[in-house]
Amino acid sequence: MADETLTADGVAAMAASSGVVLDEAAAARVARTVGPTAARFAQPDIAVPFETEPATFLVVARTGARR
Amino acid sequence: MSDPALMTLTELAAAIRAKQISSVEATQALLDRIKAWQPVLNAFVSVEADAALAAAKEADAALARGQARGALHGVPLAHKDMYQNAGKPSGCGSKIRAGWIAPATSTAVARLEAAGAFRLGALHMAEFAYGPTGHNTHLGPAHNPWDVTRITGGSSSGSGAAVAARLLPAALGSDTGGSIRLPAHFCGVTGLKPSPGRVSRASAMPLSFTLDTVGPLARAAADCALVMEAIAGPDPLDPTTDGAPPWDGTAAQRSPKNLTIGVPTRFYVDDLEADVAATLDAALAAFRDLGARVVKVELPDQTAVNAAALIVLAVEASSAHAPWLRARLENGLAFSGVQYLEALRWRGPALAAHLEAIGDVDVVVTPAARFAAPTIAETDVTAGPSADAMIQQITRLMRPINYLGLPALVLPAGWSRGAMPIGVQLIGRPFGDEMLVALGAAFQAATDHHRRAPKAP
Repeated sequence: MADETLTADGVAAMAASSGVVLDEAAAARVARTVGPTAARFAQPDIAVPFETEPATFLVVARTGARR
Repeated sequence: MSDPALMTLTELAAAIRAKQISSVEATQALLDRIKAWQPVLNAFVSVEADAALAAAKEADAALARGQARGALHGVPLAHKDMYQNAGKPSGCGSKIRAGWIAPATSTAVARLEAAGAFRLGALHMAEFAYGPTGHNTHLGPAHNPWDVTRITGGSSSGSGAAVAARLLPAALGSDTGGSIRLPAHFCGVTGLKPSPGRVSRASAMPLSFTLDTVGPLARAAADCALVMEAIAGPDPLDPTTDGAPPWDGTAAQRSPKNLTIGVPTRFYVDDLEADVAATLDAALAAFRDLGARVVKVELPDQTAVNAAALIVLAVEASSAHAPWLRARLENGLAFSGVQYLEALRWRGPALAAHLEAIGDVDVVVTPAARFAAPTIAETDVTAGPSADAMIQQITRLMRPINYLGLPALVLPAGWSRGAMPIGVQLIGRPFGDEMLVALGAAFQAATDHHRRAPKAP
């Protein structure tokens, strides 16, 4: 899923799909900055259980609270 | 009479209520200090002296009639310039927003005003709260009162500098990836990043809907509790506050005896500068002396947590700031919808893994950063790639906490060989904000780091 070979062209295309035009230098800068983050989050030990949704976080937080 | 500018928020509010000093005297004392410090700190974006003195006069008159408004009656405050005050400008540190007038007052500020505080001005911040150093191209950098060649930390740069220099007894900051805790660490003040949902974000500038929190910077942990008493609680204008527990003033005063404190074995303690390591050791010794038990904890991989935090922050910041997208705010455009949602979905499992790792630990104690405040020059991104690397290091120990939705308190606990403050970070369990304040207050009753003030310019 994560793109370890994020390129400036790829970033420019993704930005364009959000309606934002990035020039070559900006796209290259974003690719350089974001690439390592995407790669770190693509590590195989990050597995999200099938039934998990973003709001599951609230359940875990309230269960983990101790007053 | 003590100099009111040197009092903590708790002391100042009590002295005004007891009529030992007037609100006008307190306001004038702060204005005098602002006049001396502002040219070297650049902590304020506006100082509203006449309006503040008029409000102080009104507060004194009300008190004389026996009409105290609340726990902060007659206390002048100013906040990061991203909190709206109806009819006032709110620049968010950007030229783009210059001249924009707020149509409403943010809930947090309105609650402070309902408790009797009033506005003295507005404070410097990183542009759109997106920067951890205190640099700002439009406003110029904020300067650290302990050494004006050094950074304040950001993005609540003015809040950190003004509270440290005793220009204000407290100020609101915001924390999406360390923006309260970093200025607290670098400037030697106490900053509380609350659990998400404890404080309404209504009419405060959004950066990341998931990670944003609103909280205080002040001299002491007890001051943070006083602010939290006023601002915490449900708000129909911010549905994320639904279901969060109300502030528990009794829990905020509990004894640290028999608390279990965890110290990470890696990540947070890797490659610390010697002064920072020594400060952490000394703080742990102080907690032991207070009756706490200190144990080692093996936390899950924090680099993955950091990456998830960055994805959520980048995408949400790009979305919120789409009309004026610029520089680093563009980073979120490079992540796909699936990557963003995976980062959000993993938040619950990541928190569950953290809670399993800490077991019965009440509070995890870590450094706030690997080093004390670097210079403004060495963190200027126009100076080259080494500045970028240092900025990554500055936020390294901060971002996981926002992603995991934990409360954290940073308080001054030591000094570098260069006489710069060094903080420690107390990380609580979900909604364990009060325990952090209690532990911080006990630490500050036994130490004097938070009492030391920088020398006037």
